[in-house]
This record gives sequence, C-alpha cells and structure tokens, in this order.
Amino acid sequence: MMEALDTAALQPEAEIAVEVPAALGRAIVFTSGKGGVGKTTTTANVGAALAAGGKRVVLVDADVGLRNLDVVLGLESRVTHHLLDVLEEKVELDQALIRDKRCERLFLLAAAQSREKEDVDGAKMKALIERLRAQFDFVLIDCPAGIEMGFKNAVIGAQHAVIVCTPEVSAVRDADRVVGLLPNDWRPELIINRVKLQLVKRGKMLSVDDVNGILHLPLLGVIADEPDVIVSTNKGEPIAFRTNSTVGSAYRTIAAKLAGKNVPAPLPRDEGGFFSALGAIFGGR
Amino acid sequence: MSARRIVITSGKGGVGKTTTTANLGAALAKRGKKVVLVDADIGLRNLDLVLGVEKRIVFDLVEVVEGRCQLRQALIKDKRFASLSLLAAAQTREKTAVSEEQMRRVIDELSELADYVIIDCPAGIEHGFRNAVAGAREAIVVTTPEVSSIRDADRVVGKLKERGLSIRLVINRLRPEMVKSGEMMSSDDVREILAADILGIIPEDEEVVDTTNRGEPIVLDSTRRLASIYNKIARRLDGEKVPFTSLEPPGFFDKLFTLWKVG
Repeated sequence: MMEALDTAALQPEAEIAVEVPAALGRAIVFTSGKGGVGKTTTTANVGAALAAGGKRVVLVDADVGLRNLDVVLGLESRVTHHLLDVLEEKVELDQALIRDKRCERLFLLAAAQSREKEDVDGAKMKALIERLRAQFDFVLIDCPAGIEMGFKNAVIGAQHAVIVCTPEVSAVRDADRVVGLLPNDWRPELIINRVKLQLVKRGKMLSVDDVNGILHLPLLGVIADEPDVIVSTNKGEPIAFRTNSTVGSAYRTIAAKLAGKNVPAPLPRDEGGFFSALGAIFGGR
Repeated sequence: MSARRIVITSGKGGVGKTTTTANLGAALAKRGKKVVLVDADIGLRNLDLVLGVEKRIVFDLVEVVEGRCQLRQALIKDKRFASLSLLAAAQTREKTAVSEEQMRRVIDELSELADYVIIDCPAGIEHGFRNAVAGAREAIVVTTPEVSSIRDADRVVGKLKERGLSIRLVINRLRPEMVKSGEMMSSDDVREILAADILGIIPEDEEVVDTTNRGEPIVLDSTRRLASIYNKIARRLDGEKVPFTSLEPPGFFDKLFTLWKVG
C-alpha cells in the first residue's frame, strides 16, 4: 500500500530561489511514437520532481480528445478551461492554468476532451509555448501517441525532446522513427521505462544496451517496472513526490539532470546489489 | 465468401491491440479459418514484428491503394499457418496517404478472400483511427483496467457507436492480486463503465513481452497459459459459448467469484 505523502519532498532545495525567470524557460516535449510506454506518467513525475526541486513548471497536455495528464495528477475535477479555450482566446491563459494541490510551483494546462487534434492551430500553439516559457522555468509537453497532427502540434513549440521507450522491439522501432521526424539539430535524450531486472537477467527482456544499441541517444534515466506506479497513477499522486520510493528517486535524479546538475543516470537496484543490477541491465543478453 | 470485418481498437496506445490482433488471428487460423490481418498503423507499423514476418514485406497497404501492385501480391502468408496472412502498413509514409474510401474498398476486396478480416488500429482518434474503422462492421475495444485506458476506451466506444459498429471488450493485463487488494478495477467494473459485453479477460503475463519481441504469437505454444485464453476468445468470437474460468474456487460471496474470472 502507499505511504502518506512526504511533504518534505515538496520543499525547494535551499540553493534554488523561487522566482519568475528572467530568461525564457525550457520547453521539452515527451514523445515516443508508440502509445502506452509511459509518456504521461513520465511527464507528470519529471514535472513534479522539478517543481519539488524549486523550479516553476507547467505541464501541457497536448493529447486533445484523449487527455489523461489531469487524471495522473489528480486534478481532473479542477479542469474548467483547457488548451483550446486559450488558443481560441475564449479565456485568459491564467484562467486555464490549474495549480497543483501539493506543490504551488507546479501547474497544468489541460487538453480539451471533446475536441479533435485537427482543431489545434500550429502557429498559435507555438506562440502559446513561447508565452509559457516567459512565465516558467520548464514547459513540459505531453505528446499524444502516433506521428499525426497531434504529434506535430506537440513538437512545434519545443526546443528539446525526451524520448520515452520500453524494452520492447516495437517500442524501440517506433522511437527510432520518431527521432527521425524531430529537427536535425536536436539531441533528444532517452528514458527507458518499465525495465524488469529479473527478466533482463534471464535474457527474457532487452537490456539498456540492446535498446540504446539501436537508438544511440544520451541516456537520461532508467525506470524500473513497479506495481506502485500503476497505483499512484490511478490515485492521481505522482510517485516523484515520495522520497521513500526508488522509482520516485529515479524521477528526481532525471529532473536534476534536466535542471543542469551533473549526476549519473539513475539505475534501478534489486536485491542482487548495485553492481549485479548494473551488469544485468546493461549486458543482459 | 464474405468475411467478418473486425477492427481492434482502444484509443490509448500500448494496451495490447497489436498483440491481441496477432494472437486472435493465429488462434482463428489454427481453427481452420481463413484470416487476413491488416496493419492500419501507417508510419508506425508493428504487426509484422509481432508475427515475425518483418523481413518478408515486399508490398504494403499504401502500394495496394496506389495501384502499384495487386492485392494478392501484398498478402504475406504466415509460414506456420497457411490460412493466415498479413497486409502490412507502409513504414515511411503518413496515415493521410490513404483515405477512408480507399480503405473501405481494400477491406471489401479482402473480405472476398477470407472468413475474417481483422484490422489493427493505430492509437489515438485521428485520421489513422478513421481509416481503420472505415471498412469494419464489428469492433473489439481493448482496454486495461486503468483509469486512463478506460477513459480513452470510453471516448472510442462513443465514436464506434456513432458509426453503428457492434462493440465487445477485451480486458487486458488484469492483475488479479491487485483487484483483490482493491488497487485495480475488476472486469465487472470495466464492463459497467463502458456498457459493452466482454469478449475476453486476459491476465498480466510477463512472457508476452518476450514472445512479442521474438515474433512468435503466444498461441503457438499450447503449454502457455495465455495460449488457452486466446483460443477461448477466438472460439467465442467464432460464435461458441465458452464460459470464463474462475481463478479461485467460488467462495461464499458470489461477488468475489466474479472478480477472479479470466478467459
């Protein structure tokens, strides 16, 4: 079962002052090609971890028609206005931003549920992301699955991409396709999600080296497959807020790296000890 | 011959559409049915990988539509079942390369060649979804017992009803121990929310990732637990009455009994 929320994790670190940034913030799109690999969960948790570390963060749900970021954050009952309302100038941006219940530096801009992705105007989307960058340190964009209109609109305002992939051949193939569709001067970073150490050890799952031997991307992090991720997702409580969770700590390390700190890529541990875990996930097959 | 035309869809990605398509297709072929699987995920195809035929693709759906080859030339016969074949998606094209009308014509033509035409729909509800459902008469909506998956499935069920398709559910990746501890919705909860009949309930099984990576549908190995479940779903789809299997003997409370069924 889940433990009580660790409010200590929500306090900003002393060296990072909370202020509206003078320079423009960073807009990062979380994408994958394949659906269901954990884009939304990753966006929510990396955003929560960045905000817990003192950054001002806005999460933008670009999955018009099939939104879920609000559910993962537990904010679904607070959604009154959404991305399309802002793009179509029906409401002010501030009216549509939903402040997180747990962390005052974390905001959500929800997607419209009953509209279509084709309703989004690319130029307006780009301008909106730029406006958000003026207000926040990080603008994290949760991209829909696929490479259709929704993908294009999610990428249009971003300057950087995080590719979320699982150790499955189909996910790797789709990720590779998506990297090819991103601007050539980008250097996307990779998060490998849902790694099961025990399966990798038995040669029943691709290792980190297998995956990145195909993708060749800078490794931002590796997330272990833990059932408490599903529970926290269903409950709308990002696991990154929990200091006593290994998955939560992996997300916080990813956030620290995105915030420019020099930390090694987080690796999941298991009872076999750190070094055997390292060997297993890197050289598994 | 005029085939059943079934689209396998979900809204949310990664819930098991492609794995379900491959395994139901193989299970029906094993029963002697003529089956054509159509990968409608242009640009992000994967059904070829799951079936292990990725190296044998010569022509694809877009080339058929554009008249660059005959439909029969583009059908890849499975080496394990002569009655199973695949029409692959194009990998380097966009979903807009095919229109709904063109897709409908291809499915019409295929339904003269088979007992079952099963269409693997891409994630989402954009152009690719509209193409995939265009030629279908029935839909199987695959969902996992997670809030986000059910929410997306609900949106898709609405769109399918608008189009007059009959709808049945496959609940995938159920973890009975999590249902038991109240951390996961039961199959009955899902059925009530989506208001559609259940065609099958598939428990979470870590062997699926491995068989999928190796291009061997799990129904090929009859010693696997999931093989018998996919076979049951195929029989149900084929019109037989097949009861669900309870994971635990029926206890005092009937309510509990219904929580543990799979099949």
